[in-house]
Amino acid sequence: MDIFLSIPFLIFMPLVISVLLISPLFTRNEIVVRRFAKGVFVFHFLYTLLMLACFDKANPYISEIHFFGLDWVQALGVKFIFRIDAVSMILTVLTSFVFMLASFASKLNIRRSHKFYYSMLLLLMSAILGIFTAGDMFVFFLFWELELIPAYFLIGNKWRECPPEQEEEAKNSAVKFVLFTFLGSMIMLLGILLLHYYNFVSNGILSASFGDIIDSSIPEYIQNLIAVCLLIGFGVKLPIIPLHTWLPDAHTNAPTPVSMVLAGILLKTGAYGIYRFNYQTLPDSFGTIAPILAVFAIVNIIYTAFVAYAQTDIKRIVAYSSISNMGLILLGLCAFNKIGFSASVFHMVAHGLVTCGLFMITGIVYLRFKTRDINTLSGIASVMPRLFGFAALIVFASIGIPAFAPFVSEILTMIGAMSSDLSDVLKLASVFSLPLLILSSCYMLKFLHRGFFGETDCEKINDISVHEFLVLASVLAGLVIFGLFPDTILGMVN
Amino acid sequence: MLNDIFNILLPHMCLGGFIILQLILSMVLSPRLYRYARLVSVVGIALSIVLLSTVQTEPQYFALKNSIMSDSYTLLFDFVILVCGFFVALITRNLVKTFKRNAYTFHAILLTAVFAALNIVSANDFITLFVSIELLSFSTYFLIASARGYYSKEACFKYLLTSAISTGVFLFGVSYLYGITGSLNLSEIYEIVANTDSSLMYSISAVMIVLGIISKLAVFPFANWIIDVYKGTESSILAFLSTIPKLAVFGILCRLLVFPLSNSFELTFVIAIISLVTALWANTYAIREKNVKVIFACSASANASYALLAAGLVSVYNLSTVIFYLICYVFMNISVFTFLNIYGDNNPVGVDDFKGMFYKNPGLVGAYAVSVLALAGIPITSGFIAKIYLFTAIANSGLIFIPFLLALLILTVAALYYYLKILFPLFKECDKNTPVPALKPVFSLKFVLIVTVLVTLIIGVYPERFIELCRFIAYNI
Repeated sequence: MDIFLSIPFLIFMPLVISVLLISPLFTRNEIVVRRFAKGVFVFHFLYTLLMLACFDKANPYISEIHFFGLDWVQALGVKFIFRIDAVSMILTVLTSFVFMLASFASKLNIRRSHKFYYSMLLLLMSAILGIFTAGDMFVFFLFWELELIPAYFLIGNKWRECPPEQEEEAKNSAVKFVLFTFLGSMIMLLGILLLHYYNFVSNGILSASFGDIIDSSIPEYIQNLIAVCLLIGFGVKLPIIPLHTWLPDAHTNAPTPVSMVLAGILLKTGAYGIYRFNYQTLPDSFGTIAPILAVFAIVNIIYTAFVAYAQTDIKRIVAYSSISNMGLILLGLCAFNKIGFSASVFHMVAHGLVTCGLFMITGIVYLRFKTRDINTLSGIASVMPRLFGFAALIVFASIGIPAFAPFVSEILTMIGAMSSDLSDVLKLASVFSLPLLILSSCYMLKFLHRGFFGETDCEKINDISVHEFLVLASVLAGLVIFGLFPDTILGMVN
Repeated sequence: MLNDIFNILLPHMCLGGFIILQLILSMVLSPRLYRYARLVSVVGIALSIVLLSTVQTEPQYFALKNSIMSDSYTLLFDFVILVCGFFVALITRNLVKTFKRNAYTFHAILLTAVFAALNIVSANDFITLFVSIELLSFSTYFLIASARGYYSKEACFKYLLTSAISTGVFLFGVSYLYGITGSLNLSEIYEIVANTDSSLMYSISAVMIVLGIISKLAVFPFANWIIDVYKGTESSILAFLSTIPKLAVFGILCRLLVFPLSNSFELTFVIAIISLVTALWANTYAIREKNVKVIFACSASANASYALLAAGLVSVYNLSTVIFYLICYVFMNISVFTFLNIYGDNNPVGVDDFKGMFYKNPGLVGAYAVSVLALAGIPITSGFIAKIYLFTAIANSGLIFIPFLLALLILTVAALYYYLKILFPLFKECDKNTPVPALKPVFSLKFVLIVTVLVTLIIGVYPERFIELCRFIAYNI
């Protein structure tokens, strides 16, 4: 690997800067803090682009950190190892991109505790990058847990003046998020411990690296037990239906940039976990479980689409639509073939971009009109024409209109599920996932129609500022580019 | 006799000498010189730590007619206990100020407690063990009751009652074991027990002995005292109470479980159930609690129960995880209570009293936050590694214990909830009208906080050497 391209630098640079930002040494001047943080995010994105440019599919980046010449925990065979293959690379770039957009969006949404906010944002980025690049189960788990603390503060703190009952609500939803995730991760830890132990017993390899696990020699019932434990952990994050209740609250109460990060990236860690652990490391048991999981995916898609239609809060509509789309990603993985898998990776990117844009739009609307109730909002298009233009395009993209990225992944997922040779359940699931296209256009067009058309009595409202324009334009550019040239991602994954 | 003293008992003797010195000083010195009491204790403990290097450990060394022993295992525990004692003696500053002329007596009692803890760990005989446990208990009564006010007296009385009952249970168990084996010496009992089949009587006595000892950990049948004691005790004494007795009890408990009580299958299940019930009780009790000290009481009880489960499923690997867990745990606890001591705890301390303190005291509160996160088992701290390592021990003990592990893992979610309850107000920005105290700790307190937090972070990032040490100790027991 080039000396300029180092994975530890990629992951730990935000962590180190986060500590620097929060330390008393750094100035409290909010403009300096904000510009510095923005600079860091932009630099990080450029750096990941450089890594992407030098990426070679045949030789994934691998980097192992030794501590004074020793492994991290030799007693458990844990190596501090990072590995960036195609999927990790795509998600790393996406992470860096979304965080950069979030830092642009922060300018108008964050009004106090700037140092603490940007420090936590950088820490969260570090943790998520760690999840996407970890090459060892325990390192993966380390970053999985590390992400809780910044996410807790980002959701729970109020970053601008607001009434105390809203503050209380935000705190409660942050606690809910952390407890749900922690519960899931504890059950996941049980799965990891069992996998580690039974891999050692069956194969005699004391190691926790993904590459060293040979699943075929582990007894089948143990494999299924482990797979279920892991799925519960990832299912909370994804979220899979009965475990989803934390998500709408967390997304609604978080400030706009945090919602963008949560929906754009954080949910993808769950899907990535299922891919890395269940799909790749325990393929036998995944083949057994996938048909059942596909049913859950369908419930995700259809049920939450109906729930989204019933919402009156525009942020909640977007939040529920995220769950619905995550069901599609899960269905792609369940197909257990190349098409389904590459479709689900593609949809991670597409949905990451779409949801970023949608949350940005709801954030802009809330800032200007001080309400998110779809029944009181009306006639935004007449006072904010430029916002309307972006909103219309991004909403169309999210519905799955051709020429935008989600169209490609939705179609590919259905093809993947249809051509799956696991079980007929998947073919059925493919058919049942079609309503997503109709239902998503119902709730998304309702959002557009009720909010943007009609009369309004507001007169002087500023249209979108430069920062907001930048975010929306880059999201849209991404959607169009990947919609027109899907092979950029599909070629890498396949 | 003299040979024994020079070979293994020099640190004990040194500490004993300083106890007598403190008592003499309390009589002859002018009350105005009270502030040197802390210094004398610190010097005494530091000297004992230095003298640990004279202790012979290769091979196992027995002294005083086999009633005291030393090997690398006891040496490690002695070292950690003395280091904890060193820190506790350093942070008693506020307490010494209030005691004035009684400061020397107070420190004599503190040193006695440390001395007793050393003796518990190296005991090789049930009589030595019993006397040492009683010595530790009695000094603890005085330490708890020493603070002014009604709460401390109530706390002391509750602790005394629980200890009295548990001592009775312990002695009862020992008498049964004596009836079965005809000996009180741990090594002899092990030889007899290892060569005979396990009987019901033996299991009952083993359970009673263990129950008697673990009451000091505040686990299930004897758990209630910990709430009142923590509520009513000054934080520097809590730093003592949550570390040194725990180390001593786990030190001897692991040895008992590996040697004389190793032949009882029933004991394993009793311990597993006790630990589960304790974790359930402690973690759910703290959810509704608003007093920081009570939350830490529950956390102490819960953390003890995790380690107890791993210790109960006896194996050498488990032993190494328990030792590692204890080492990590005591440093977190000392730093937490040092911070509370710097804050100056007028009882009781509510969770919301710390509102917005991070912005006035970033360094101190940051250190405190790191220790609380470590207790919760969040990464980059030693707590994360310690918990994972401990849980691997339980996961490796067979499928039958997986439900226990699952229950403990789920209960740690409740634990995270109350730790977050402590953490959240610290970072809350409050309006300009509410005064936020700016803390200005003296050097010794700051020193303890910095060292303990640094240890927590260093073990969290680079655990390999420490785990290696614990494995070495465990495999040489």
